[in-house]
Amino acid sequence: MDRVNLKINGQPIQARAGQSLLAVARDNGIDIPTLCHLDGLSGVGACRLCLVEVAGVGRLLPACTTPVQHDMDVRTDSPRLARYRRMILELLFSERNHVCAVCVSNGHCDLQAMAQSQGMTHVRFPYLYPPLKVDASHRRYVLDHNRCILCTRCVRVCAEVEGAHMWDVMSRGVHSRLVAELNQPWGDSQVCTSCGKCVAVCPTGALAEKGRAVGEMQKPPLHLTDLALLRGGLS
Amino acid sequence: MRIEDFSTFNQVKESGLARLQPARPRLAVGMGTCGSGNGAERVYLALREQIDQRGVDADLRRTGCFGFCAQEPLVNVWIPGRPLVILKRVDPRDVPRILDALLNDDVPRDLALCRIEDWDHITSRLQYGRGWNDIPLWNEVPFFKGQKKLVLRDCGIIDPEEIEEYIAIGGYQALYKVLIDANPDAVIEQLKASKLRGRGGAGYLTGTKWEFLKRAAADRKYIICNADEGDPGAYMNRNEIESDPHALIEGMAIGGYVMGAAEGILYVRAEYPLAVRRLHRAIEQAREYGLLGRNILGRGFDFDLHLVEGAGAFVCGEETALIASLEGRAGRPRPRPPFPAQQGLWGKPTNINNVETWYNVPVIVLRGPAWFSEIGSPKSAGTKVFSLVGKVRNTGLVEMPLGTPLKTFVYDVGEGTGNGKAVKAVQTGGPSGGCIPQEMFDTPVDYESLAQIGSIMGSGGMVVMDEDNCMVDVARYFIEFTHSESCGKCVPCRVGLEHALRILNNVSQGAAATTDLEMLDELGRMIRDTSLCGLGQTAPNPVLTTLRHFMEEYTDHIRGHRCPAGVCEHLALSPCENSCPLHMNIPRFLQLLKEERLEDAFESVILDNPLPASTGRVCQHPCDNRCRRVSLDQAVNMRDVHRHIADSILFSDGFDAMAERLVARRLEPTGKRAAVVGAGPTGLTCAFYLALLGHDVTVYDSNPLPGGMLRYALPEYRLPKQVLDREVELIRRLGVNFVGNVRVGDDLSLNQLDDQFDSVFISIGTWKEAWVYLAGTELKGVIPALPFLEAVARDSHVALGRRVIVIGGGNAAIDSARTALRMGSEVTVVYRRERRDMPAIPEEIAAAEAEGVRFVFLAAPHRILGDPQGNVKAIEVVKTELGEFDRSGRRTPILTDEIYRFECDSVVLAVGERVDLDFAKASGLKIKESGTIEIDRYTMETSRRKFYAGGDVVTGASNVSNAMAYGKQAAAVIDQFLTGERRFDRIFRAFNYSKLPPEPVDTPRHHLAELPPQARVRGFEEVMLGLSRADAVAETHRCLRCDIKEVSPV
Repeated sequence: MDRVNLKINGQPIQARAGQSLLAVARDNGIDIPTLCHLDGLSGVGACRLCLVEVAGVGRLLPACTTPVQHDMDVRTDSPRLARYRRMILELLFSERNHVCAVCVSNGHCDLQAMAQSQGMTHVRFPYLYPPLKVDASHRRYVLDHNRCILCTRCVRVCAEVEGAHMWDVMSRGVHSRLVAELNQPWGDSQVCTSCGKCVAVCPTGALAEKGRAVGEMQKPPLHLTDLALLRGGLS
Repeated sequence: MRIEDFSTFNQVKESGLARLQPARPRLAVGMGTCGSGNGAERVYLALREQIDQRGVDADLRRTGCFGFCAQEPLVNVWIPGRPLVILKRVDPRDVPRILDALLNDDVPRDLALCRIEDWDHITSRLQYGRGWNDIPLWNEVPFFKGQKKLVLRDCGIIDPEEIEEYIAIGGYQALYKVLIDANPDAVIEQLKASKLRGRGGAGYLTGTKWEFLKRAAADRKYIICNADEGDPGAYMNRNEIESDPHALIEGMAIGGYVMGAAEGILYVRAEYPLAVRRLHRAIEQAREYGLLGRNILGRGFDFDLHLVEGAGAFVCGEETALIASLEGRAGRPRPRPPFPAQQGLWGKPTNINNVETWYNVPVIVLRGPAWFSEIGSPKSAGTKVFSLVGKVRNTGLVEMPLGTPLKTFVYDVGEGTGNGKAVKAVQTGGPSGGCIPQEMFDTPVDYESLAQIGSIMGSGGMVVMDEDNCMVDVARYFIEFTHSESCGKCVPCRVGLEHALRILNNVSQGAAATTDLEMLDELGRMIRDTSLCGLGQTAPNPVLTTLRHFMEEYTDHIRGHRCPAGVCEHLALSPCENSCPLHMNIPRFLQLLKEERLEDAFESVILDNPLPASTGRVCQHPCDNRCRRVSLDQAVNMRDVHRHIADSILFSDGFDAMAERLVARRLEPTGKRAAVVGAGPTGLTCAFYLALLGHDVTVYDSNPLPGGMLRYALPEYRLPKQVLDREVELIRRLGVNFVGNVRVGDDLSLNQLDDQFDSVFISIGTWKEAWVYLAGTELKGVIPALPFLEAVARDSHVALGRRVIVIGGGNAAIDSARTALRMGSEVTVVYRRERRDMPAIPEEIAAAEAEGVRFVFLAAPHRILGDPQGNVKAIEVVKTELGEFDRSGRRTPILTDEIYRFECDSVVLAVGERVDLDFAKASGLKIKESGTIEIDRYTMETSRRKFYAGGDVVTGASNVSNAMAYGKQAAAVIDQFLTGERRFDRIFRAFNYSKLPPEPVDTPRHHLAELPPQARVRGFEEVMLGLSRADAVAETHRCLRCDIKEVSPV
C-alpha cells in the first residue's frame, strides 16, 4: 500500500494514500470538528466545520473529503479557522429553533457540544425562527424540523447502509427541508423499515424516539464502520 | 447530402457560397431572440410579402445577431459588387424604401449603420464589394472599434439554420483536419500552447483539462457543453448558439475525437427556446451531412450529441451540480475531488466546457496556437464576449481581446452614459461579480486583474452604473438573487446569505446600525472563504466590493437616513423630495396650493426652506432632473411654483400675519446662546431654525447687511435685493440678532465666541478667488468675478471698457457676462469644454446668449497681453480637444498647439472660488488639504468642541440649496447638543391634504414670462417674471404625486 508523508500542525505524519485528511488527523489524535461527517457514510462537505488551511493552497479545504497528498502542510487550527467555525455555529443556531432547555437531546447533542468546544458563547445574528412543523406520524419516532441542521446524516445512512433511501432534502437555500419519501408524513412511508438508524445518527434532537422528555434522548451507539465494511462500502 | 470525401465537402462548400453570395441581392434579417424582441419578425414578414408582391429579384434569409442590441432590428443588404451594408432600427414601414433603393442599386443612407467590404470569418475570408465610402466601415463605428470578432466570427452574417452556409465560410474544416491528422495529442499540445482558458469564468487551462480526460482510462467518457447561462443580464451564450450553432457542434466533435468520448451532451437552459430549436436543427443537419453519428466524414470516427434542457436552477451552472441534474438528481454541487475528469456523469470520466470555450477550438486548430495567443494579454489569451448593459449609450454584445482596460468598454465602445451623468461603477461577472469604481477603470479585463480587485470574469456580464444607481441596492439585489438560488447544502451559503440579505434590507430601509456593516463584512468574508461551491464563494463579492469602494453610500443610508440615488424607496418621500438638498416636501406644497390654501402652502414651504423666494429664483433645481413626469412630457415646474407661493405672501398684506404665525411656532426660550458666523444662505438657514427651536441667536457677518453671496454676488436682475430683504425680515422677526461689519478672526476671535456662546456655527462663504497662473494677470483690467459682482452690487464704479472677455463656465461666469453686458460692454465667454459641460444653469446660459453674449467653447486662456501703460489689450487662448472622461462624467480638455487671440479691454476671471481660512487656521480647527474645514459628515462637528461648520466652508464653492442644507442639518445637531434632546421635528407641523392620486391632466409645463432681451439688457430689472396664480395652480395639477405609495380603501 502506498504511503504518504505529510505534516499536520507541524507534526510529521505518515498516512495511507487515499485516506482523507480527517481520518488521518483522527488516527493521530488530532481533533477536527465536524457535524455532517460520520465514519462509514459518504462525505458531503456540507457543514464546513472541518475546513483546514493547507500551505500553498489559497482556499480552505474540507478535511472530510480532501485526500492526503505528499508533502501537504496542514493547519487544523488558526484564529481565522476558529472565528469561522464559531460563526458557522452561530448561523446554525440562528437558523431554526435550537432551544436546548426544552430539547430531548439536551446534554447529548452534538451541536450543543460543538458550540461548547468551539467557544461559541452567544449568537450575534437575529434568530430566524421559521414556522416549522413536527412530524409525529411514525409510531416509534418523531421528526422535529426545528432542531434539524440539514447535515443529511439520516439521508445517507438510510440510502447507503439501510438501502431504503426514505429520506431526502427538498427545496433549496434557506427553505431546504428534510422530507420522507416525496414529502409525506413519515408514518405513511412505504419504504421505511423503522430500523432507527436515522435516529441513531442524528446529531441533534431533530430525530428522536417518542416518549422522551427533555434531556432523555441519548442516541444508541451504532457501529456504522462495521456495517459499511460488511457491505463493502467503505474504501 | 452525406460528406465522405473532399469532393463532396467542396461541393457543399460551393453550394453554401452560392447561398451566401448569390448572383442576385441578398437580404438577411437579424433574428436572434434580441432582434425578434425588437420587431425583426414583423420586418421579415413585411420584406417577404413585398418582395413577393413586387416580384423583386432578391434572396431573403434569416441570420443571427451582429451584437449591437441598441440598434436592433438589423437587416443586412448585399447587392452583388457592393459592400455588405447593415441597416439599423429597421421598421416594417421602412421596407418599401429599402426595396426601392435595392432596385436602384442602392441602400437608404439614413438607415445604414455600417458597411462591410471583407469579412474575416477567421476560418476563411469573404470579399464583398467596395465603395459607398459615405457609410462607415463596420469597425469605424465606435461600438465596434477595437472589437475582435473571433467567437462571434459568423454571428449576424450567416444563416444559422443552414449548415451549408457554415461550411461555406470554412466550417467543419478544422474537424476534417483533426480527423485526417489523427493525432489527438497534437491537438492537446496546440490547445495548451494557445493558452486558451475556460470561458465559463474560472479560467482553467482548457488544454490541461482535455489532457486529464484523454488520459483517463474508461470504457465510456463524456463531454458536456455548459450552456446553462443563468446570470441576469448575460446573454452571450444564447446569442452564440442562436447565431452560429454549427461552430459549437464542430468544437465538440473535435473534443470528442481528441478526448476519446463518443457522446457529447449539450446542457442548455430551457429558457432559451430559440437556441434549443436551432441547436436541434443543427444537430439534425450535421447528422444528415455525416458530421455527427457513425463514421464521421468517412474517417471512422463515431460521435453524437444530445441536447438536455436545464430546468432553470442557477446553481446547475456549477459542473458537479450540472452532472447531478443530468443524472436526474437534485442539482446540488458536491465537493471535488473527485473531479469530473475522474468521476463525472454516471461515474464516468467527463469533461465540461463553457459554450464559448468550444467556439475557440476550431479557430485554434485552423489558425494555430501562435496566432491565437498573440491576441489578448500574456496570461489570458484570446478574446472574450461581454454583454455590455446598463447606463451606457451603446448596449450589446462586445467581443474584445482579453486585457482591454475597463474604460475602453465604458467610454469607447459604450460611449459613456449618453445622458451627461457620470458613470459610477461597473459590475463584472454577473450576480457574483464585484463592483469596480470609476477610479479603477484602468484595470485590464482579464482573469487575474479582476480577481485582484475582488471581482470575477464570470461569464462576461458587464453592467454599467451611474449616479442614479444606489450601490446598497445593487448589493442587495444581487444577494437576493444568489440567496434565492443557493442550493442550501452548505451552511455558510444557506444561512449566511439569508443574514446578509436581512442586513442589506435593513440598510436600504434606514433601519441598520454601523456595527451591522462590520458584521456584514465579516459574514461576507466567511461565506466567501468557507462555502462549498463557486456560488457561495463568489456570492459576497458585490457586498464586499461595495463596502470597500462605496462605504459612504452605506453610511448615508444608516446615519443620514438618505439614499442619495433615490432608489431605496423607504428612505424617500418622492424623487423630487429626495433630490432636493433641503428635502422640501414638494408634493405637499403643490397639493396645498392646488387646494387653494396659500397660507398653508407658504408655511409648508418656509418650514422646509427659509429662503423660498430667493431659492425660487436661483436654485439649480435638481428636482427637475428627477421628476417622473419627464417620462410623459416635461418635469413639473416646482421651483417656480414655490417662488410664486413665497412671493404671494412676502409681498402681500398677509406678511405680518404670517410672521406672527411663525413666531407662534417658536419653542419655549431655552436660554442658550448660539452664534452663527456668516450671514449667507447657510448661516441664515441655521439661524432661522435655531431661533424656531427657542435659542437666542446672533449672526455675525463681515458685510454690513445679511445675505452673503445672495446679496453681494448675485446680480439684481436675477435676484432683486428687496426679495432677500423680505426673507431676512421674517428671520429677524423670529428674534435673530444680526451684527454686520464684524470680521471674525480680526474683530472677534474664536476664543471670544467660545466664551460668549454655547455653540458656534461657522458658515462663511467662498470669497477668495481661485487664481489661474497666467501671464498678464497683473495687468489693469483683469478682474476676478466675485469682486467684480460685489462691486456692482455695492454700486461701486467699475470701468470695463468696450470689449470684455469672461473666462469660465459656471454661474459666476454667466452672471459676470450678463452684468457686463448691462454695463454697456460687448461680452465674450471663453470656456475650455463644450456647452453641455458648463456647470452654470442651462436657462442662464440660454438667457445670456439671447441677450447677446458670445460664447467660445473649447478654448483655454493662454496669456493676457497688455499695452505699454499696463492696460489689458488682448487675450490669447489655446484651442482644446476633449480627451478621456473624468470623474464628473465630462471629457477632460487637452491643450492643442493652436492659439488665437481676442482684442479686449478687460478680462473677468470666473474660474472658481476658495475659502479664506486664515482665521480658522489660527483657531485650532482642523483644515482639510483642499483648504476647507474638516467636519464629521453627519454631525457637522469640527475638531473643536461646541464649534460646528457647514456650507461652502466645508465643501468648497457649491450652490445655494446645497449650502442651505448644511445650515438646516446643523441646526438639528446643534439643538441636540444644546438641549440634550432630539427636538428638531417639534418645530414642524402636520398638514391635512389630499392623499388621493390626482386626476391626470395633459397641460404642458408652465414657463415664466420674461422681459424681452432688448428691453432687459439696458438695466438691472428682474428678468424672469413670476407665474400668475392661475398658471401656478394649473402647474400643481401636473404633479403625479409620487409621494402616494398606497391608497387605503375608503
